[in-house]
Amino acid sequence: MDLLGQSVYYVGAVALLLIGFYMVLVKANLIKIMLGISFLDTGVHVLLIAIGYVRGRTAPILSEAMRTSAGGGSPEVVDPVPQALVLTAIVIGIGVLALGLSIAVRVYEHYGTLDAREIRGLRC
Amino acid sequence: MLIAPLLIAIPLAAAFLAPLVRLVSRRAVRFIPPVALLANLVLGVLLVPRALAEPIVVSIGGWRPPFCINLVVGPLGILLAVLTSLVGLLIAVYAVTYIRKEPSDRYHMLFLLLVTGATGAVLTGDIFNLFVFFEILCMASYALTAYRRDKGGTEAGFKYLVQGTVGSTLILIAIALVYGRFGTLNMADIADRVASVDSMSLFVILALFLVGFGVEAAIFPLNAWLPDAHSSAPASISAILSAIAIKVGVYAMARTTYTLFDTPGLWGFLCAIGVVTLVVGEVSAYRQREDVKRMLAYSSIGQIGLIVFAFGLATADGAFGGLFQLVNHALAKALLFLAVGYMIYKVGSKRLASLEGLGREMPVTCLACAVATFSLVGLPPFAGFMSKLSIVYAAVATDRPLVFALVVIVLAATVVEGGYFFRLIQTLYFRKRPNPRPVGEAPLSGLIPVVVLGVLIVVIGLFPQVLTPILRGGADELFHRADYVRYVLGAP
Repeated sequence: MDLLGQSVYYVGAVALLLIGFYMVLVKANLIKIMLGISFLDTGVHVLLIAIGYVRGRTAPILSEAMRTSAGGGSPEVVDPVPQALVLTAIVIGIGVLALGLSIAVRVYEHYGTLDAREIRGLRC
Repeated sequence: MLIAPLLIAIPLAAAFLAPLVRLVSRRAVRFIPPVALLANLVLGVLLVPRALAEPIVVSIGGWRPPFCINLVVGPLGILLAVLTSLVGLLIAVYAVTYIRKEPSDRYHMLFLLLVTGATGAVLTGDIFNLFVFFEILCMASYALTAYRRDKGGTEAGFKYLVQGTVGSTLILIAIALVYGRFGTLNMADIADRVASVDSMSLFVILALFLVGFGVEAAIFPLNAWLPDAHSSAPASISAILSAIAIKVGVYAMARTTYTLFDTPGLWGFLCAIGVVTLVVGEVSAYRQREDVKRMLAYSSIGQIGLIVFAFGLATADGAFGGLFQLVNHALAKALLFLAVGYMIYKVGSKRLASLEGLGREMPVTCLACAVATFSLVGLPPFAGFMSKLSIVYAAVATDRPLVFALVVIVLAATVVEGGYFFRLIQTLYFRKRPNPRPVGEAPLSGLIPVVVLGVLIVVIGLFPQVLTPILRGGADELFHRADYVRYVLGAP
């Protein structure tokens, strides 16, 4: 139980990634595929945050709590680098999601369906 | 020192200038990409001698590496950056008249972003920064594939987006694991510390990197998106995707495998996967008798296989041959897609049969086409002969029985390649036009890039020594890891 408690964020991240991969691989609806990609993104974000997390420490924001602790040694904050990475990754993820959904709308206009099994104009 | 970041900053700034310029003048937008990329090309060429002498390390934000995001303008980076600017410039000239669909400012903006992503990815020295530039490149390619909003383009764009995004997710997971293990994102810093950890623990990370970058590089079996995307996109986009975008994937694979993780032991796997990609690509291209752009797209897969095979040899000679082939393929395939683009535009069909007898109608375009196909097949005196020769030479020099067997397959695949390219030449020159409606030559802006690329192929084929020092430097940069670490982090 203690092991699960320590690694709950990793378990959650991997679970989200697996859900995302499952949706991208199995689902035929283009919107659901994009949702799967969103799950994948979220899973990676949680993984990144989990890697930088240190138990019992606070957010890496320059605050009163951080200043007082800095006097006594190392500041009591978690690693800020993965959080910066996640901010970047969120922006990229939103961009991809928006682009993918807008292309899905165009596909729907051309084919009249969102079912990937019926969209096979390019198969040769 | 400040010139190197301009290589990335100029196309980025120009990209976001495009919509603003459109507010003032609709006609001026199309001239932004050629001007910006010409400036980039000049700066890049000016940097070549300095980068060859010693890699230029630019620290951003005033911190010293490994605490900042840094650019490393070494021979390999500058080679690929100049190649990107050169091919990008010629394709931008082509697009001045080729892209007619309004609003064209979106096209030019995305095109410049694609070039920004490619240039940034090859120049950066930070693994997460590599990912970001890679994503810029990929997202611009997704959008441009679907730019015409037609049936094929949107479907291909969606496929490309889903597969590319899954690949990017794998790269990001790998980066998370790298950060967890090493606590740094600087590539030189990681390279410095790799020896201190158990190599088996790096296996998963390297596998994730190879699969993630392999999607963009279109190595088999991750290449399902490429034939659709490259054949459905506008001709100028097919050209930049084939010439530049997939090469960045190969570069990233080589960089992570050799410089970052120092795993030359992977040679057997990389050589084998390269040869499988080569055979699959060439045979698929041979079977593609209908759609000429699809044939060229499959041919790109084959060529990527050859490049991966050359890098997979894990020797500096092999990387030299791979880089040479990379340059040759970038020039020749850009030429082919551009030339075929106007042929398709003139006859109004992508079918190979409809191009019959165009050799008389469009003499310059078809002659350039012939030069490019001969170069890709590897006939002397074109660039492809020298590059294939150096790959075979490097493969034989490794003295490994498996590689000998693979070289035989590579040469057999070249024969297949000759088969379909000569079919194209035969169609252009030795068939009579079924309907004698005159089509006329492509406009000047369509001819200039094609002719310049053709001349470059011949010049490189006749005088390979103009390119040899930079290729040699680039190949050495991949394998001399200690030098790379020393240049970036300073003397220990």
